[in-house]
This record gives sequence, structure tokens and C-alpha cells, in this order.
Amino acid sequence: MANKYVGKRVKRTEDPRLIRGLAHYVDDIRLLDTLHVAFVRSVYAHARINSIDFSEALKNSGVVAIYTGKDVQQTIGPVPCASALPGLKVPDYRVLATDKALFVGHPIAAVVASDRYSAQDAVNLISVDYEELPAIIDVEQAAKGGPVIHQNFGDNIAYKLTSGEGDIDAALASADRVIKQRMVHQRLAPIAMEPRGVLARYFPGEGELTVWSSTQIPHLLRTQLALMIGIPENKLRVITPEVGGGFGSKLNVYAEEALLGWIAMQLGKPVKWIEGRRENIQGTIHGRGQVGYIEVGCKNDGTVTGLRYTVFADLGAYHQLLTPAIPTLTGLMLSGAYKIPAIQINVTGCFTNKMATDAYRGAGRPEATYVVERAMDLVARELGLDATEVRRKNFPAAAEFPFHTATGLDYDSGDYEAALKKAKEIIDYEELRQEQKRARAEGRLLGIGVSTYVEICAVGPSKAMPAGGWESATVRIEPTGKVTVLTGASPHGQGQETSFAQIAADELGVDLNDVTVIHGDTGIVQYGIGTFGSRATAVGGTAVLIAIQKLKEKANKIACHLLQADAANVMFESGRFSLQTAKAAAAGVSEPVHPVGEAPAGALPEPQTNGKSSVTIQDVALAAHLAKELPPDTEPGLSATYFFEPKNFTFPFGTHIVAVEVDRETGEVKFLRYVAVDDCGKVINPMLVDGQVQGGIVQSIGQALYEEVVYDEQGQLLTGSLMDYALPKASQVPWMELDRTETPTPVNPLGVKGVGEAGTIGATPAIVGALVDALSPYGVKHLDMPVKPETLWRIINSQN
Amino acid sequence: MKLEGTNQLHAPRESVYQALTDPQILARCIPGCERLERTADNAYAATIRAGVGAIKGIFNSSVRLENMRPPEHYRLVVEGKGPAGFLKGFGDFNLQAQGKETMVQYNGDIQVGGTIASVGQRMIQATAKMMAAQFFTALEAEAKSTDAPPKHGFFRTALRWFSGWLRRHL
Amino acid sequence: MIPAQFEYQAPQTLDDAVGLLARHGQDAKVLAGGHSLIPAMKLRLAQPQLLVDIGRIKELSYIREVGDRILIGAMTTHYEIESSTALKQSCPLLPECAAHIGDVQVRNKGTIGGSLAHSDPAGDWPATILALRAELVVLGPGGERVINADDFFIDLLTTALEPAEILREVRINRPAGKFGQSYQKVRHPASGFAVVGVAVSLGLAADGSCEAAGIGITGVDSKAYRASQVESALLGHPLDQQTIAGAASHACEGIDANSDLYASADYRKHLARVYTGRAIQAAVSKS
Repeated sequence: MANKYVGKRVKRTEDPRLIRGLAHYVDDIRLLDTLHVAFVRSVYAHARINSIDFSEALKNSGVVAIYTGKDVQQTIGPVPCASALPGLKVPDYRVLATDKALFVGHPIAAVVASDRYSAQDAVNLISVDYEELPAIIDVEQAAKGGPVIHQNFGDNIAYKLTSGEGDIDAALASADRVIKQRMVHQRLAPIAMEPRGVLARYFPGEGELTVWSSTQIPHLLRTQLALMIGIPENKLRVITPEVGGGFGSKLNVYAEEALLGWIAMQLGKPVKWIEGRRENIQGTIHGRGQVGYIEVGCKNDGTVTGLRYTVFADLGAYHQLLTPAIPTLTGLMLSGAYKIPAIQINVTGCFTNKMATDAYRGAGRPEATYVVERAMDLVARELGLDATEVRRKNFPAAAEFPFHTATGLDYDSGDYEAALKKAKEIIDYEELRQEQKRARAEGRLLGIGVSTYVEICAVGPSKAMPAGGWESATVRIEPTGKVTVLTGASPHGQGQETSFAQIAADELGVDLNDVTVIHGDTGIVQYGIGTFGSRATAVGGTAVLIAIQKLKEKANKIACHLLQADAANVMFESGRFSLQTAKAAAAGVSEPVHPVGEAPAGALPEPQTNGKSSVTIQDVALAAHLAKELPPDTEPGLSATYFFEPKNFTFPFGTHIVAVEVDRETGEVKFLRYVAVDDCGKVINPMLVDGQVQGGIVQSIGQALYEEVVYDEQGQLLTGSLMDYALPKASQVPWMELDRTETPTPVNPLGVKGVGEAGTIGATPAIVGALVDALSPYGVKHLDMPVKPETLWRIINSQN
Repeated sequence: MKLEGTNQLHAPRESVYQALTDPQILARCIPGCERLERTADNAYAATIRAGVGAIKGIFNSSVRLENMRPPEHYRLVVEGKGPAGFLKGFGDFNLQAQGKETMVQYNGDIQVGGTIASVGQRMIQATAKMMAAQFFTALEAEAKSTDAPPKHGFFRTALRWFSGWLRRHL
Repeated sequence: MIPAQFEYQAPQTLDDAVGLLARHGQDAKVLAGGHSLIPAMKLRLAQPQLLVDIGRIKELSYIREVGDRILIGAMTTHYEIESSTALKQSCPLLPECAAHIGDVQVRNKGTIGGSLAHSDPAGDWPATILALRAELVVLGPGGERVINADDFFIDLLTTALEPAEILREVRINRPAGKFGQSYQKVRHPASGFAVVGVAVSLGLAADGSCEAAGIGITGVDSKAYRASQVESALLGHPLDQQTIAGAASHACEGIDANSDLYASADYRKHLARVYTGRAIQAAVSKS
């Protein structure tokens, strides 16, 4: 029977409250007597802190307390790093700086005041005696030497790692050509529309601490904060209210979260901190930050024999939760969509006097896809082959899945040729190349870029994850028949309140509006891992599905008992368990006796069972709670919990093709067409998937053309506001022609791969590739990001 | 940020050099300087209220004169810290006599940090140029002047007019 | 993003406003649309002790045509100018320039007077005002005076306004006869400010040659300037491609262009030349 909801463009249940301004973000939660926290943050990238004078600040009548590193060094545990790479050097990262400031924005003191204004005024009255030290900013220099940031380590190298399979030296030696290229992945700022924020409240009588935080990982955060602050985990409740975007920047444990919790316990009053945008750019994690060198070997016919990527990873001064792990994810995906027999990555992770890098939409995989796709373009260019042909030549065939890569992964399923073919049809690739020829004859700079990407997501098997890769769900049907889904996933814009409700409504045959999905509260929801790595639907949704199946088993048992029939004679359809008459059984349909209608208002209705031939699932729920007529050995209640452990990651894939034109006179870039064909397996809600792809593409446009976190040589953050950090606006984004192929994954029963990061991963190399193609008449083979008009103009101009 | 330029001053080299290295005169030339007190040989503490338009900040500063080779060369080192940010800079001044006039060639480096660097980088170069122009205008007037130094307020207005005149006619 | 403490007054008349400024000197600042001042205050880069809000003063916001002059009150918002059907007829450069400013929210609040008094080196109005050779009417403690646009922009964020003076009106000669105007801008991808902004107002003779030319350029130097060499190269000549290209090449003569994170001085000057040519071309095609 066709699904009523799954697969349809169901409008989001989240949206009415969001659009009407009725949602509650951290700052919307108003508690009586709340005190406000503002931070003094370092203005130097590297400095000794000789003394902090807050005598003037204390004169402000609104100030309640001021804390510095000395106050918390022994009492609050370090900011955690969950990465356990062999030989990894982990600096002791305290929530407030103690003797040294190591990056601009490093929190040095926290002022607590009766209102936000006094707190900020007091911050400006605090005088820090800094002794400026030389800063190390360039990552390649940090790898070689430079001023040492963490003296106890002796140098600025946090780790070195080599991985990959196959004999890379032989592969490159035996290649007909070896192409080398340096590539830079600039630092990006995630810039969620809602910056971070924390509210903490302590009840001394009950010994209970509640922390509201704009986070992606409420349960993991609870565990870490409990350890940092020293409060029993079951006395700490973390609540994630509405979150205005995360993109990975809130998949973390931040100093401010622990500090606010601790301060609340000290003062016995609620304390709140809301991050400003400048603080956000300074003190929330950055993405990317890699300088790498590729060597790709190929045969003259375009077959790639091997790929080596030597990369310097700009980790920042301290490790946040996953900082060192991100470049290792790059290593995992260096095979891209291709059969490359030998692959090697050499990572040198370096400390620099900047904010930490960590997971930002794609987390290491955009870097891999960029590198591999640019490599394919370089091969195509070197051999004079078409960009799509070279790629196709190196694809594994659909029948070769699960496909083992030389990076140690097994890709679940894929049909890369189908996606490429579809994208080429939509954009009419052959005609586009003809148009390019004509344009070039007129002296116009038209470029076409292609990206056939694969990415790894739906993280993941717990063996490969630092803190568990499963996800949990509890589904219950209340006495009045309403369905409650508690998910350990923590959506922050992705729309699972809708998509999980779609799954539940279809599976249980109930109305979508009768399903409520609850998440983000450790006091209500069973332990979960959270939302990141495009896992919420693939892993969290599967947990929901399997929990529902367990629930249905029990409901079926109860229904059979109520109908006094064997399971073989009872059929469940559209929310109703019906007795099969012989005639009905033969025809394969159920025979309802009562019209399906609403329960009368007022008293709970008696379940309609006596001598009837069908019962609704709502009847079953009521019966389960009244427990008057339950089958033997059956617990009362109607609730099921499932913790789903995925056996593999999933590998969404797709093809993006972009056409651009570069203004010869000025280097300004115009998009002519943008086509994206993405395969994320089965699609629960096409509207949500489209939204994810569009958002991802926009962030790719940002990386390709506009965005860059810039620190000068002294480590001063020059792009400190949105006046200089250029997020793409709607007017700068092309119309996106989106389509799909659907190759279900065998990894989970939903067949869903995940799509949250795919757009960001696939789009960037297509855009940069298009610009390189546009300027190829000038001999350009590569351009580093962000590709600015001036860069293009200089190339064009130098040859006129 | 590198800052360099050449100014032709209508005053003899010795007067210009003297003006450049006299702390009281320097205090009147450095834009926004409100106080200059000697702390050691050729070293001074200063309060500088620098800014353009509505954007103003107070900088607790130190001023040092180094590498003095009268009447042809010296280095001026300025460091200032304030709520709006901090700056550190030096300028090497080379003076060449040209009859009754002096060609002053300067090159230096300014580092800016804090808020002004993180939100105002598009205007830093223009601000530096403007302040350099104000400095040299004042310097020339000082070097030529034999009268008692004029009061602060009037001088500031004259400065603005002067530098505006210079900008429009050079 | 919280300003330092300040006092606030909203005088009912312009004279009262001037009086407040005269009394408080450097400590007071005029608040018009607030979209340049308040961000600076939130960053604590500006810390006026008294804000003199002139938004309540009646009769500071108007667009009138009196004889052959257009009079615009200083508190007229960018949106009001952008959407004025009268101006689209009589002097389309004004609404066209207004439409390029910031974004919808900024245009709803920002005022032409505030924008001119602030004189951001990348602001759009200064270029247009220069191209139109406007006059700025200013009220101070000593009375009223009229300043030519050419004399108004002195340096970075610095105008000819004396300490207690308030800009009250902008006066423009309504273009007569055959004329063509255009405003072209290269937007900074983050801030939307002009990397380069060119305002062109041309008067054409009966034979189509250039009879009058006003070219204002912003974003390039510490302040907007009139590209007088471009104007001279057009005057008296037919407005063909060759003349335009030749004239536009003078767009940055004698200008020490700004260099920042987004664009170098050389690129800026190049953009100025290209967009001056494009703006002149557009002005001609609209004439």
C-alpha cells in the first residue's frame, strides 16, 4: 500500500512556530533573577598575562562577581578532546586562560552582573597587563618551527599520521604522468544565524543543575559537563531549546558551557551568556584550514594509478572536541568516486595561535572531495580528455558494490554513472561545451565545472567513533492514542520533527498531527548521541523505525487477544487491526466493522472489542494502559525503545555541473547554470532533502568565492564581523536545478543515506573547476579559494 | 601595514629636525596627543585621543625616539593601548636639505590590533594616511613658527583645514 | 554589542538641536537614521555622551520641486527617494543611487542627510551629490549657510560641517533638456559598501554631444571625489565609444587609491575606470 506521508513533500511541523516568532531559543528563556555574563577576551594572539586589574570594574554597582583563570584552574576540568590518535599531544585547555593567552578571543575573565549592560561596561573597565609574544600563524611554518606555543611539547606539531593502502611509491613510479599541485582550504567560520548561548540554573536543595545550551549533542554534553564541573551526571540536565543552525560548530563542548554551569552552582542564581557575532567569529570553532600537496599518477588513457596527499592541518592553539580527527576524515575519503589502487595521506597537525578548527559541515570530507576532484580535472587537462570522461573511466561499476577502497572503507551502494548521466542530460552537456566553444571564439570566458562526489556519513559504527555511533528512540502510544517519539538525535533545522512523524504516522497508520517528536532534553529523552555527520535520519530515523516495529509486535499481540483470534487471521492496515474472514483473507483486504472516527470528548472511551471484528491502534493503546484484558506474559503500557547500532557508514554521492562566465574586464563571476543530481538513498521528505542540498551548495559558494577567516601575521583577526566575512546572500546564489537518483543503502532498513553535508561537499570543486576551466585559455590549471575577482583579473590582465 | 611617503616642508632641515625631536612640539604634531610626559631619556608617556569622525578612542601610549643622527635621521616609535584596540608603529625619518626647504622621507610599519583591526580594516590605511598628513602639516607649521605655540583647539581646526587643502590640491 | 551609557534627547525643532550641540560640543552627536552611528556605538568605537535625535523634528523629511530646483530634506530616507515617482522623472540618478544603498532595512531607516554628514569613504550618496553639483544647506549657531558639494567632503569621515552644525537640506538643479544619468556600483560581497561607485549625470546638446558632465566616484579614495578630468574629456565631444573610453581612463588621475583586504589599490582604480565607462555608456543610452 502506498505511503501516505513518507516520500511526500510534507510541510514542516516546526515551521509555524518558527515563522511566527513563537519558538524558544536560549535567549528566549527568561528566568527570574538571572545574572548576565560577559567575557574579557584576549586581544593578542600570543601573550603572557602578567596581571588582571579589575578594581575599577568592581566599582560598577551591577557587578556581582568576576572570575579569572586562577579561580577555576583547579576546580573545573579541562575542555575535552575526544580524539585519541596515537602520539597525539593534547594541551591542557582550561576554561579561562591562566598564565598565557594563545589566540585572539581566548577568554580571560568572566564578569557576572545583574544585567547585560553592566556586565559589558565592567568588561571594558578590566585592565589586562599583557606581555606580547611572537605569534605563529602560518601552518607550514609551524610545522617547521617558529615560536613554540606549548612549551612542554617542544614544537608546534600535535601529531603526524600516515595512512592508506597500496604501494603508493610504486603506483606513482609506474604512472605515465604524475601531476603535482598545492591546494589550500582556507579557514571558514560556520556562522550559524544564532550564535552560541548558555543559561544555567542550580537548585542547591535538590543539588540539580540545569544547563540550556544551543548545542547539537545534549547527552554527550551532559556527560562531559558533569565530568568538568564535578557534579553527578544524573543531577545534571541539559536542555537544547530551539537551535538556530549549527553546521557542526555546536557539535562541541565549549569552555563557556562548563563555566556557566559552575558559576550557577557558586552563586545560586541563574546565569546567562549570549554570544555576540564578533565573539562567535573569534571564539567558536572554525572549519577547514588545510594546506596540502597532491601527487596523482595516471596512465595516458586516463586511468588513475595512485594518489598521495601531504597535508598540514591548521589545528589552532587548543583542541576542541574533534579538532585533530578532522584531517583523518579527509584521508578516509581520498578515493572519491573512483577505483584508485594506491592512496596515501600524510598529515601533520600543527598548533597555531588561532581559534581551534573542528567539524564544520563536511568535516574533513569537503577537503578530500575537493582534492580528488581537482586531481581528476588536472588529469583531464594534462591528457586533453573531457572532465566527465576521465571520471567515468575511473568509476567502479554498480555491480562492484560494496566497494572496498584503498583508504580502508567499504562503500555501501552506488551508481555513479547514473547520476553523472542524469546531470549531463539536464544541463545538456554536449551543447554546453559547444556553447563554450562559440563563446571562446568571441573572446568570452565561459567555464564548465564538474564534480562527481562521494561522501561518508550516517556516522557510524561505534568502533570507529569516539563516543558511540548508535542512536536511540523511544516510541510510545499514550492512553488517548497520541504517539510520542523520543529521539536521541538533536535536530537544529533539519526537520526531523516532521520526517520522523512521517515515518511514525505511516507505520502506525495514524494522522501526522497525532505524532509528536521530542528531542533535546536529557531529562525527558533517553541517552542519545546527537545530530552531526548527516546521521539523524539514517541512524536516528532507523532507531525510530525499529522501535515502532517492536511496538507494533506488542500491539499486534494485544489486538489479537482483544479480537480473540490467531495472528494469522489478523491484518494491520492504516491504523486498524482487522479480523480476516475467509472471503476477506482470500481477497487480501481487511473488513472494518466500525467507521474510523474520533473518540468522544470527555471520558476515555471503552475499547471497542467485545465481539467486534477490528480494533484501532488507539483502542489497543488504551487497552494496554487499562490492562484489564492483556494476553498472558504481556507487560502493560505500549512503549518500545531501541538503540540502533549501524554496521557501516553510508555513502551518498552525486554529480554537480556548473557553468560560469567571467567578466573579462573585471574578473567578476556570474553563474549561468547550476545542476545538482544527488543520491541520498531513499527520501523521506523531498522538500527537506532539497533544502539540505540548496543550503549545502550555498555554503560551498561561500567557500569557493567569498569566505575566509583572515588572521594577519600578528594573529589579529581581520575578518572580525560580517562587514568583512562575506557570507553569500540570496542575490549571489544561482537558481539551482536539483534532481535525484535513488540508490537505497543496505546499511539500514530505511534505505536512507543522509544528505545534510552532501551539497557542501560536492559543490565546491565544481565551482572552482568551472573557474579554472573559464581561464584555461590563459594556461590556468588551479586556483585557490576563495577565488576573488581581482585574482581572475590579474591573470587575464597579465596576458593582455 | 607599511606606511611610506615623502613630504616637502617649507622650512630648513635643522628646524625640521629640531621640531621632530622636541617632545613638546611632537605632542602638538601627533594627532590627538593630549599629554606627553618624560619617563626616561628620549622616552615619553602620552595620552592620545585618536579618531576620525564619530569614531574616537583613547590610547595610553608611549613614544620613543631612537637612532638619532641629527639632522638627517631618527626613528619614532609609538605604542598605544586603549579600549578600541592597540597600535604599535615605528617610522624612520630621513631628512634631506634642499636649500631653505626640507624633503622628509618616511617609511614605517604600523600594526593595529583589537576592535579597530577586526571591524575596521577597510579604513585603516586611509586613517593612517590622514594622520600622517596631519602630522606633517603640524610639523611644518611648527618648524616655520617663531611665535609662541598656538592653543590646542584653534590649532586642531587649522590642521583640518590645512590637510583638506593639501588633499585637494596635491 | 552593547553601547556605552549615553543620554538621549529628541528636540522638537532644529534650532533646539543646534543649541544642544553647541552646548555639549564634542560630547554630543546627531542621530538621524542611526545605521552608521549605532553600529559604531555598539562596537564602542563611538561613545557620544549625548545623542541628539533629530528624527522627531517635523519638516525635515520632504522631496519638493520648486522652480528648476529639487529640494530634499535631510531626514528623507533612502527608501523615500528610491520610490519617488517624481524623482524618477525629474532626476532618476537620485532614486537609482538610493536603490543601491545597503539593503531594504537600511534604506527604510537611513537618511540622505545622515549619510552625507557621515561621509563614509564607500558611501553612495557623496558620489551622486558631487555628480549633481548639489548644494548643502546647513544650520549652525551662527545661522544658516550653503556649502557646495565640491567643498563639503574634506577627508576620511570628515566634512565641512563645523562642530554644532546640522545638515538640513540638499538642493539640486533639476536636469534640463536632454540628459542621461546612471549609478553603477561594485558591491563589497560582505558589507555591500561600494568597492567602487560611479555616479554620472550628463547633459547632451541637440547634436548628442556632451554639454555638461558630472562624474562622482566613491569607494576609491578616503572620500568621494568628482572626476574632473573625465568630465573635461567629455565636454564638447560626441559621446561615442572612443570618447567614453578615453575619458574613463582618467577616472583615478591623481588619486591615491585605498587598498584593503578585498581589493588592492590597483584593482580598485581599474574597476573605477571600467565602471566609469559603463556608467557613462548607460547614462547615454538612457538619455
